[in-house]
Amino acid sequence: MAQVSRRLFLRNSGLAVAGAGVMSQIPFLSSLVGPAEADAPAAADAATAGANEGAATMTEPLVAHVRDLSTGEIGIFNGTREVVVNDPQLAARLFRAAR
Amino acid sequence: MSSHREAPEISKDPVADSADLYAFVSPDVPDTVTIIANYIPLESPDGGPNFYEFGTDVLYAINIDNDGDGVADFSYLFEFQSETTNLDTFLYNTGPISSLTDPNWNRRQTYTVTQINRNGHMKVLGAGLPCPPCNIGPLSTPNYETALAQPAVQQLSDGITVFAGQRAEGFYVDLGSIFDLGVLRPFAADHILGNLISTMGGVNATKALNVHSIAMQIPMDLLSRRKVTPTNPAIRDSVIGVWTSAARQAATVLPPTPKANAASVYAGPWVQVSRLGNPLINEVVIPLSQKDFWNHEAPASDVQFAQYVSNPELGRLLPALYPGVFPNLAAYNAAGTPNRADLTAILMTGIPSGVIPGFQNFTGVVQSDMLRLNMAIPPATASSTLPSNLGLLGGDLAGFPNGRRVFDDVVTIEIQAIAGATLGLVDPSFKPDAAASLVNQGLTSSGTDITAMGTENYLSSFPYLGVPHSGYYTPSS
Repeated sequence: MAQVSRRLFLRNSGLAVAGAGVMSQIPFLSSLVGPAEADAPAAADAATAGANEGAATMTEPLVAHVRDLSTGEIGIFNGTREVVVNDPQLAARLFRAAR
Repeated sequence: MSSHREAPEISKDPVADSADLYAFVSPDVPDTVTIIANYIPLESPDGGPNFYEFGTDVLYAINIDNDGDGVADFSYLFEFQSETTNLDTFLYNTGPISSLTDPNWNRRQTYTVTQINRNGHMKVLGAGLPCPPCNIGPLSTPNYETALAQPAVQQLSDGITVFAGQRAEGFYVDLGSIFDLGVLRPFAADHILGNLISTMGGVNATKALNVHSIAMQIPMDLLSRRKVTPTNPAIRDSVIGVWTSAARQAATVLPPTPKANAASVYAGPWVQVSRLGNPLINEVVIPLSQKDFWNHEAPASDVQFAQYVSNPELGRLLPALYPGVFPNLAAYNAAGTPNRADLTAILMTGIPSGVIPGFQNFTGVVQSDMLRLNMAIPPATASSTLPSNLGLLGGDLAGFPNGRRVFDDVVTIEIQAIAGATLGLVDPSFKPDAAASLVNQGLTSSGTDITAMGTENYLSSFPYLGVPHSGYYTPSS
């Protein structure tokens, strides 16, 4: 493929898992607006996860949207992706931090 | 209006608001199709000091369906970048802008065009492409068209020509009358409240306004399903469906004050906020409560809106607003729930063969709002058949709803159709009212008037929409 801009590359490399809905049938929507990913897998070891997080570099904005405190549904926007997690404890911590 | 400010939410977001879409066989390069997608409706030409520009946080798209399923087989994506070259002035320009590289020009835009196919394959067709400045006035933007606009017409790989920048609004419409309880000025005396208003000729409300256009001239063989230049109007492969769309990222975080020059944060998936295929669908067919939802949806799922097309509110209003003027339409409406197969064909599936001699632009049974163009039908030109601003209704097979040309009087065409002028094509028992074919905006002198009584100044070649109105001379000129 010819040159691909950084923005498009990031977008494409961050493709969400394709769904079967109508939205996924539109090229730029399916590739760029892909449906939210399911829950991220829980970290097997908190210490390891913490170490990895410390070494990671955030290259794109990260925005969290707590949708439901009781179910812990949080939409996490990163780059052009959305990951949905269901973590009542995390939602509660974010809620407390915001008060 | 065609699709200007047509829904509550998008009306607050003009840079993402698709206003008009055109698709036609280029009259001067007939093996190509010209597609023009307009954004930023109702630009006042003197709107400085921050003149209009495309959104750098908006993903614009022109979408092509060439197999009739209402799903884009490929899309052209447009992303814009802005640059301020002099941070110490409030001025758009600090002297005359004589070229696209003139250092006097302080706020400029470039853009990237990327083709993305159905399988997700992307190909950058051009990057760093220049937009022209807005047409400010004779001191700031002298020789606008030759020095600034035409040099911004760029050639991409694959033989595509592209332009993105300000143009004169080409859509003509009498806004003041149609939104005042459906007054059609030529029929004002027959309006149910006609005794309360004086009669007058039509007013082209958009004649002195500008828009921002994304225009492409694309070889037909790139568009057609079989990658050949279509020559047979009778086959389905000659027909493409076109729509434009704009998307924003799901989350926006404004910078905290008082940091200077802090940038907003954009994150999350692209969310479609605007789309446009046929003119006026979201404007006058889709109910207010669903307009923004419609903007978010894809053409392939338009069957959910089919009821509003087959039983349009305006079709019920016309006999009520103009008592005695549309008796046959009134009787048709009273006979049961209308099922306007003519409107469904025109707007949602294309017109199948056998309805209009020598014509079809049928894409299949999938109901979707796309501008459908039969590319094998040659353009009407002054040297062959005079083009009619009434398109198919005027006997001109190259005009709306076979695609849409810049001069097509789409408001008159659609109101005539809704008034019943086309119902007889699919229901031989229905006799259209005499008034149905007489309804018009009063903005053209005849069917072959392609200048809207001299109020529009279209170009004979790409990008076809006229030189943008200058801030200095408007509105007096």
